[in-house]
This record gives sequence, structure tokens and C-alpha cells, in this order.
Amino acid sequence: MSSTEQFTEPATDNGPLVDDAVEVGEDLDFQRAWWRFEKIAWIVLSLVLIGDAAGLFGRGWLAKAEVTSPDQTLHVGYERIERAGTPSEMTLRIGSTAVHDGRVRLFVSESLLQQLGAQRIIPQPATSDVGPNGVTYTFPATGSPAIVGIELEPSFPGVHRIELSVPGAQPIEARIAVLP
Amino acid sequence: MPTLLHAIAGYFILLLTIRLLSRRPGSQMTVFEFVLVFLMGGIIIGSTMGNDRSVTNATCSVIMVALLHRSVSHARNRWPAVGRLIDGTPLLLYQKGAWRDEVMRQMKLAPEDVLAAARTKGLTGLAEIDYAVLERNGQISILSKEKEK
Repeated sequence: MSSTEQFTEPATDNGPLVDDAVEVGEDLDFQRAWWRFEKIAWIVLSLVLIGDAAGLFGRGWLAKAEVTSPDQTLHVGYERIERAGTPSEMTLRIGSTAVHDGRVRLFVSESLLQQLGAQRIIPQPATSDVGPNGVTYTFPATGSPAIVGIELEPSFPGVHRIELSVPGAQPIEARIAVLP
Repeated sequence: MPTLLHAIAGYFILLLTIRLLSRRPGSQMTVFEFVLVFLMGGIIIGSTMGNDRSVTNATCSVIMVALLHRSVSHARNRWPAVGRLIDGTPLLLYQKGAWRDEVMRQMKLAPEDVLAAARTKGLTGLAEIDYAVLERNGQISILSKEKEK
């Protein structure tokens, strides 16, 4: 086979010519549509940044949430929007009515420990009782309110329902969204 | 698995952001482009790798990005519409004594950019230029009157 036989496709200019002389390959209609898209995209990206600063995607005041049990015994401060792989802290204030014999018992649902990745509980609980739906911790308590911190670091995105309760008080339920 | 998903997301987020930044005249990267490339690259690396800094994870991420890049390149060549989306199209900036004001304004170009490109071809001014085209790679091509003949 000679070298010229390899080139069988005729090569010609096939695009529109400017001034019947120059083929540029311009597509001004597409470009105008792209410029419109660019303007919208920059507005959207700016809104994303503003939303981020406000905490719409976690780590800001919009993400912070507080919930108190109807009888005021348990108060929980947490972030309703978490980020996967990013640490955060949940703070629990337990009222004096939940303190019995110098001890406080706190039930924490399994979702808080597994999906939301509870890393550490401060202070260290004296005992931990594992149940079917979660763990009940016992803390020695000398004053009121008793403050317990739970360090979270969720691994995967999703929406998780958590439940926290102390004996004698109505449980607190909340939903926490974890973003990628 | 999350690393691969993060790599895919990172690739397309970077692609979109760089595409939105428009083409800059000249093929050489300026200090500004270097800042962008290194800073954005560093930011994406953090979320892509996460806490898993193993060689396995890094290798899989690199393979995923390479595969994505190859697929996008293939799609760009196979379908002209994809090529237009990723690279844009050449744009006429100057045509026989008249500036294309809309294109110059939208692409944030000044006549000086075209004149600079003309000087690199040994041309002294607009009188010697018939057409100036902003190419897909950001370079400005100059078609001089002599060349046309």
C-alpha cells in the first residue's frame, strides 16, 4: 500500500466563511447563549457563597439549632446541617429534675452514634448500657444543669433522625442533614 | 468509593469554574492563572482524599480523574456540541477595520490585546490587519492583509 492510499477522505473547508474568504468556525448564537448562562451561573455561585457564609451548608448561624423538651428537663444545642468528615459538637443541658442520687442517665439513639459518628462524650460516662436502639450513659452529677458534650463527625451524607432522652422527661427528637 | 465520587465531583466543579472564568488572551499562564491552578488544585485535593491518605486511595483517585479526562476528551471529539460547551468556539474580534464590540466586551478584551498579538507577528497596526480571531485556546490569531493575498 502506498502512503497516499492511506488518505482517502477528501479534506475541505466545510464551515461558513467570513466575507467568503476566511473560515473561522464561529457560532455566535451558541456564544450568546453561553454568555447568558455565564451571567446566571455567576449569580448562582455568588448565592452559594452567601448561603455558605450564612450557614445554609453548615458551620453557620442558619445551621445552629436548639431544642428543649416540653418539661424543660433536657436542652440540646446542635447543628441541624452537618458536613461529612467535619467535626462538630452537640451540647446537652440536663436539668435538676433528671438528677437522681447524684447521677444522670442519658439515652442516645444509635443513629447519633453510628451515622453521625459520635467520637467522644465529655465528660466520660461512668457506665454505658447498650440497648436495642441506642446506648444509655450514666454520669455522676453534682450540680445543675449538668452539661454533656458529644463530639460528632459524620462520615456519609444523608438525613438522620436522632433521639435523646433522660428518665422522667419526654424524649427529644430531631433531624440532622449531613452534606457531602 | 466516596473518594471516587469526590474525584468525579471535583473534576466537574473545576471544569465548570475554569470554563466560567473565560478565555484569557495569550497562551502563557500569568501569575494569576498559576494562583488559580495551585489554589483550586489544593482545595480539591483535601476533599477528594479525605482522611484516607493511602497510596491505594491516591492511585484510584488519579485513575478516576484520568478516566474522566479521557472520556470528556472523547466526547468532545465525538460530539461537536460537547466540544462547544467545553472549549467554546473561535470568535471574530476584528473584521476589516471594525471591532466586534459585543464580543470584545463580553470576552473582556481590549484593542491593546489584539495589537499585542499583531506585534508578535511583526505587524505595526490595524492598517495591516484584516481579521483577528480569539481562538478556543485563548490565543489571538491575526490574519494580515499580506497573508490573505
